[in-house]
Amino acid sequence: MSTPRPSRSRQRATGFWQPELIGIVVLIAAMYLMPYVLVDDFLISKYSRYLVFGLLAMALSLSWGYGGILNLGQALPFGLGSYCMAMALKLRTIPVQTGAGGLPDFMVWNNVQQLPWFWAPFYSMTFAIIAGIVVPSALMAALGWFMFRGRVTGVFVAITTLAMLVVVNLLIIDQQQYTGGFNGITDLAQLTIGGIVFDAYNRTTFYLIATVCSVALLSGYVLSRTKFGLILQAIRDQEGRVQYFGYDVAAYKITVMAISAAVAGLAGMLYTIVMEFASPTFLNVPLSLSVVIWCAVGGRGSLPGAFFGAVLVTGVQGALSESKTFLDTWTLVMGVLFVLVVLFLPSGLAGLISQLLAKIWPASDHHRDETIDMKSNRPEEIA
Amino acid sequence: MQIVFEQVLTGLSIGSILLLAALGLSIIYGTIGVINLAHGEFIMLGAYAAWALKTYVGVSLLPGLVLIFLGVGLFGWLVERILLRRLYQQPLDTILATWGIGVVLQQVIRLTAGGDLRYVELPPSMAGSVSILGVETSAYRIFIFVVAALLFLISWFIIYRTTFGLKLRAVVQDRGVASSFGINADRVYSATFAYGTGLAGLAGAIISPLKSVSPEMGTGYVVDAFMVVVLGGVQSLFGTVISAFSLGEVTGVIAFLQNDTIAKAIVLILIISVIRFRPQGLFVAKVRA
Repeated sequence: MSTPRPSRSRQRATGFWQPELIGIVVLIAAMYLMPYVLVDDFLISKYSRYLVFGLLAMALSLSWGYGGILNLGQALPFGLGSYCMAMALKLRTIPVQTGAGGLPDFMVWNNVQQLPWFWAPFYSMTFAIIAGIVVPSALMAALGWFMFRGRVTGVFVAITTLAMLVVVNLLIIDQQQYTGGFNGITDLAQLTIGGIVFDAYNRTTFYLIATVCSVALLSGYVLSRTKFGLILQAIRDQEGRVQYFGYDVAAYKITVMAISAAVAGLAGMLYTIVMEFASPTFLNVPLSLSVVIWCAVGGRGSLPGAFFGAVLVTGVQGALSESKTFLDTWTLVMGVLFVLVVLFLPSGLAGLISQLLAKIWPASDHHRDETIDMKSNRPEEIA
Repeated sequence: MQIVFEQVLTGLSIGSILLLAALGLSIIYGTIGVINLAHGEFIMLGAYAAWALKTYVGVSLLPGLVLIFLGVGLFGWLVERILLRRLYQQPLDTILATWGIGVVLQQVIRLTAGGDLRYVELPPSMAGSVSILGVETSAYRIFIFVVAALLFLISWFIIYRTTFGLKLRAVVQDRGVASSFGINADRVYSATFAYGTGLAGLAGAIISPLKSVSPEMGTGYVVDAFMVVVLGGVQSLFGTVISAFSLGEVTGVIAFLQNDTIAKAIVLILIISVIRFRPQGLFVAKVRA
């Protein structure tokens, strides 16, 4: 439709101590300090939930901010991970809450006589944890293969991922006898690994989540610095050129979808542990779109930014959720904020902070052109 | 035979509603290339406008239609001028922005008009039913069919038989060349967007007596409308019509055979497959750039 605008590179690709890494270190420190500030166990549990959302947003930032793949179905791998964990924990509940022969209660209510084959392996917790990462990852990789091998790009990727999310959501609600349907899987046992009980309201769970988040943030950062991460960013900025260099663009995109889904699945499993149930709302459209908001507000091109964006937005939302009017107004504010961020601050809070830093220490900063330019330079995306 | 004819009529009725909902989206998407995720909310605005006009001003539905078309169209014009204009270079961001606008509109309506269901009454002159070849049909559904057909013809006429349409098609084909021939592309885009949103408002107002009016009502319509556009093919008004009525018939048959959820899932998978294997749409023979 018009000529491509000259592209500004997002940030200097080399050098290890980027502001991004400093941001991650600050975030990790803040996470571990939180239990000393929040004394109430209930608050700790709430805060753990926000961290899980942070992890989910960070996973989206990998595929969206770095790979340029706007996955509107990010809640799909999250929900699948959550269900994997819930299935394993459901099979561990004390017999009172289950039917004859350890059959989950909702199956008894739906006249299911025998445990379905795909439930049986979930007696093993090891299997469940592996499945919670591999199943979402494989599904999203398959979806990525379907899309990217057919050169589906831009807005159509967004629509396809969203539609896929709705399909799985509908199926889970429809297959009530195997999935608990609309109610989800409730009355779960507590996760116990090696004698350590992960109660939703104790600090062990919190430290588990904080540790997983820290490891994920650091690994994500390292990934973004590898050759893989660099080519991914090149694909985001100029897909055509990377292709002409002989790289298999689709393979890179499929891989990042799979990695992002694996992290999202992990977040889903943690979410089940904190919430003590799994429900179809964990993979519905509103949640999926919320992840996009968190990411955009925090800074889609920055892993700690996206993480912090999610914690911030869900934190405020949680604080206001006592009143319906407050919550409605907050949703309105979020909508306005989101539109403004998309229009004027495409790199989110993270971009704002790095711009400010560049102003404060212009001399010491070696990367003065830190403004993250996420604008697509691909006019061919306009259908 | 009777049952078949009834099915055909039901399908036509669903199809005309689909066409109403999709026409504005199709025009905007086909010309500006913006997937307007707020389209459903513009439909919702139209429905609320019909309700508010009746409740507070006392203007009934039919005379209000012109007002609603102009009002929602003006609103769309403002949205294009103030917001979307800045994002044409970034198609992904237009999705996000229009979706954000949708959220804002929903919340504004929820906070002002309340979250309860509202009802708009049928125009008394069309409350009855008409018998066509022995099948009783509500007069209002026939009215909808006629309006949808009329709006389609008007849109076709504007795009293919007026100077404005000529300019519009020129801008769509090559914005740069069109601009150098003295066509104000910005103005053409705003006008087109306003027209498309006006049509959405009209659709909402006309549909409102049949369905309950709620802040969330738009979500379903945007999905349906998008489905119609994807199946019909971008930049193809005729494709939109054919796909609206075929989907109408298919939906009618599925509703007849039942199992709603699976049907919905199948339709979505169908859309995904169309996007993947036939991105130009089902009903387009050739596509010009």
